[in-house]
Amino acid sequence: MSRWLFIRNKASRSLFTVIFVIVLNFFLFRVLPGDPARQGIRDPRLTQEAIDAIRVRFGLDKPVINCFQTINPLRFGNCDVNPLDTQFFIYVKNLLRGDLGTSFYYNRPVSEILGERLWNTVLLIGGGQILSIIVGVGFGVLAAWKARTPIDYGTLITGLVAWSLPTFWLGIILLFWGSNNGFPIGGKATPGMSSYPIFTQLMDIGWHLILPTLTYTIVFMGEYMLIMRSSLLDVLSEDYILTAKAKGLSTFQILKDHALKNGMLPLVTIIAINLGFTVGGVIQIESVFSWPGLGGALYEAVSRRDFPILQGGFLLIAISVILANFIADLMYSYLDPRVQTE
Amino acid sequence: MKQKALSILMLTAIVLSACGNLGGGQPAIVRIGWASGPDSLNIGVAWLASAYTISELTYSSMYEFNLDGTLTLDLGTEEKMSDDGLTYTYKIREGVKFHDGQPLTAKDVAFTYNLIMAHEDFPTLHSYVDHFVSVEAPDDTTVVLTLDQQVPNIASKLVFLYILPEHIWKDHSEGEAAAAFENLDMIGSGPFKILEYKPNEFIRLGANKDYYGSVPKVDEVIFQVFSSPDVLIQALKTGQVDMINSVPNTSVESLKSTENVKVVTGSPLSPDLEDIVFNMVDPTNCPTAEGGLCTGHPALRDKQVRLAMAYATDKQKIIDIVKLGLATSGIALIPSGTGEWFNTDVKDFAYDPAKGNQLLDEAGYKDADGDGIRDMPDGSRPLTFRLNWPSSDSEAPRIAELLSEMWKQLGISLEMQAVESDALTAKCCPTLDYDIMIWGWVADPDPNTLLIIPTTEQIPTGYNETGYSNPRYDELYAQQGAEMDKSKRIQMVWEMQQIIHDDVPYIIPYYPLNVQAYRTDRFTGWLDGETKLALEDPSSLTVIEPVK
Repeated sequence: MSRWLFIRNKASRSLFTVIFVIVLNFFLFRVLPGDPARQGIRDPRLTQEAIDAIRVRFGLDKPVINCFQTINPLRFGNCDVNPLDTQFFIYVKNLLRGDLGTSFYYNRPVSEILGERLWNTVLLIGGGQILSIIVGVGFGVLAAWKARTPIDYGTLITGLVAWSLPTFWLGIILLFWGSNNGFPIGGKATPGMSSYPIFTQLMDIGWHLILPTLTYTIVFMGEYMLIMRSSLLDVLSEDYILTAKAKGLSTFQILKDHALKNGMLPLVTIIAINLGFTVGGVIQIESVFSWPGLGGALYEAVSRRDFPILQGGFLLIAISVILANFIADLMYSYLDPRVQTE
Repeated sequence: MKQKALSILMLTAIVLSACGNLGGGQPAIVRIGWASGPDSLNIGVAWLASAYTISELTYSSMYEFNLDGTLTLDLGTEEKMSDDGLTYTYKIREGVKFHDGQPLTAKDVAFTYNLIMAHEDFPTLHSYVDHFVSVEAPDDTTVVLTLDQQVPNIASKLVFLYILPEHIWKDHSEGEAAAAFENLDMIGSGPFKILEYKPNEFIRLGANKDYYGSVPKVDEVIFQVFSSPDVLIQALKTGQVDMINSVPNTSVESLKSTENVKVVTGSPLSPDLEDIVFNMVDPTNCPTAEGGLCTGHPALRDKQVRLAMAYATDKQKIIDIVKLGLATSGIALIPSGTGEWFNTDVKDFAYDPAKGNQLLDEAGYKDADGDGIRDMPDGSRPLTFRLNWPSSDSEAPRIAELLSEMWKQLGISLEMQAVESDALTAKCCPTLDYDIMIWGWVADPDPNTLLIIPTTEQIPTGYNETGYSNPRYDELYAQQGAEMDKSKRIQMVWEMQQIIHDDVPYIIPYYPLNVQAYRTDRFTGWLDGETKLALEDPSSLTVIEPVK
């Protein structure tokens, strides 16, 4: 089997998973008790007529799917209803056109809202991931190279401590220290920057990014450090490394030509998985630093039963994870010739 | 110290480029920190209090709030009511302009009121136009409003009907277009106008120099969102904001001892209350057609039991521990912050657990099996009640613990469980599948919105969370809704509070005080000594000026 076939098989499997997620997403949130037309608010000014009118505006008066009026509570409806006029098929039809719907809460297109928030989260994770990879891998390699020396033990302890630090706590410590020393207290940008030149605006955003990125880096570099170190130590204990040493190669050459390539493999998987999941999962950092990211948007949407945002957001996360895994599989097939493309 | 140097470098760079652009004269910018921004700039669909805060600043309406609780004419200059109370004729100010320079006339007022009347899907605004039949503008400064019944305190409804510009909204007035309109420019006629809006981040308002009332002395007001209350406090302490409009009680002491910060308390503009809710629905009133299950513990239907629990509830202790003293003791569903509507004659039950025990003994609730928990008179069930609260309520868990201790003295035990708020609504209203809940309500300045809650007709809709049904109360509710004589109406409202207090469908532990804080070294003139405390209201924001 050629590489092309390999890619095609992986791709179709990923696509199938995405379709499954789309269907699951739709029904999953409708199982939650509660009425999205109220958005979690109890207000005696809200009359039954108003709730009904809002429900019509959200398209919630249509049956969920043929024969079922609602999923929770399970209420049977009309099986003669036009299947294309049910909530599920309208959702799928719009999705195929690229329309993620309109948020019940913000009354704005979901793609706009999620787009902004996703970009903010990517900004935060992007810098953090790159830094944590560089620092984590670097120190991990160093630790494995100088195994059983104080450098190794020091790095191991640092990595363990960093990885076990609660993200929220670390964020608050850094924020309180930082705000007493000139750093901004949160947010993405200083209000009022839009009238300034682009360069100043970017500097301002960068200024706001420093502390959240630092928090992210410290926590994740711990993980990468530990994994790199243990993976490399494993590799360095293999027989062919002994052979290389016997041949007279320096430790640096051994690392460069033989060990690193094999040691990198677990790290590639972890990085791919992290990138996929943290798209929706840095809510702790976003919360501490008032960073308007995707995690916060989804958390709020749950308590408001804002179905369109939840469906769109979870689809986004699912696609990120699936895509990240797909890319990881691909990279594996290039890095590791043992991976069967036959 | 490298960080300090770095921050100085960055700030210098920013300031230098700022000077390059502004060319002299630093603008006076007030920065306010809050926990969540408006959900929408379209006041038709917005729910949150923060949306109303912004609307108070950017729009005008016929009346405005005063900090002593009264309403006075704002956009209107004259109000004439017909003898039968069904027609109101208003004269409005001349020469008022919208933020885009277009004139505001009576036609915009009529357009706005008609728009709201036509839109049942405006969740909160539509309820204020309930009895409006027609609104007309015979000329540019006259508005004629016709009702289908007498409406007392019409000012309290008109105050929330912010005047929208017809020339902008007319293209978004039909059907779903009105709710879909984002209204990002929020063109109004208020003392401030929108400069920049980033949802969930900040909103920048600039002073409206052509405002017909008192023109703000500051140039800009920025409301910035901070996701965590600790961060809000730190922002105030480090001077990155000048005022925060809601201080968590736990931070009050630490803020009080911070230099250049003043902490102030007062009655909220929209008073709220925390309540302990009993499921006492009579089985004959159970709304089975709407999904009512009515699984409440039968003992709670007995007024003696609820009365005993009221005597065993130490409200002052709850206030001291949960609110750190920053609340006033509760009576009935109308908070003390509503001013003259609050019944000051009601004598609340004293904290007297012995009396509570005596009441339960007399009613026959003895401990049949000797396990320390009283049982029903026929011995069928112990007095073990489920106690639920919404998981978003941060004070309820502590209240629940205190109640558990206090009611244990009566031989009552509780099964406590926090439930996600929407799930709790699905459980309680109108399903009535609970025993006791801890929740709360927010009041309007006019008591009408909260008084409807314990009426019989609200059992099937779910707002009557207790299932309380009293024909006398229902009668009074209908009467006060049409009583034009204010002192007569106050008497009715007072009687309704006495009834609710005596029948104990609720125990109201407290009405929270509003706690706000500001920096004294930045702006001066904050109105912090009035009956109501609302530093984010135009009353303060139009009069404060930079400290010299």
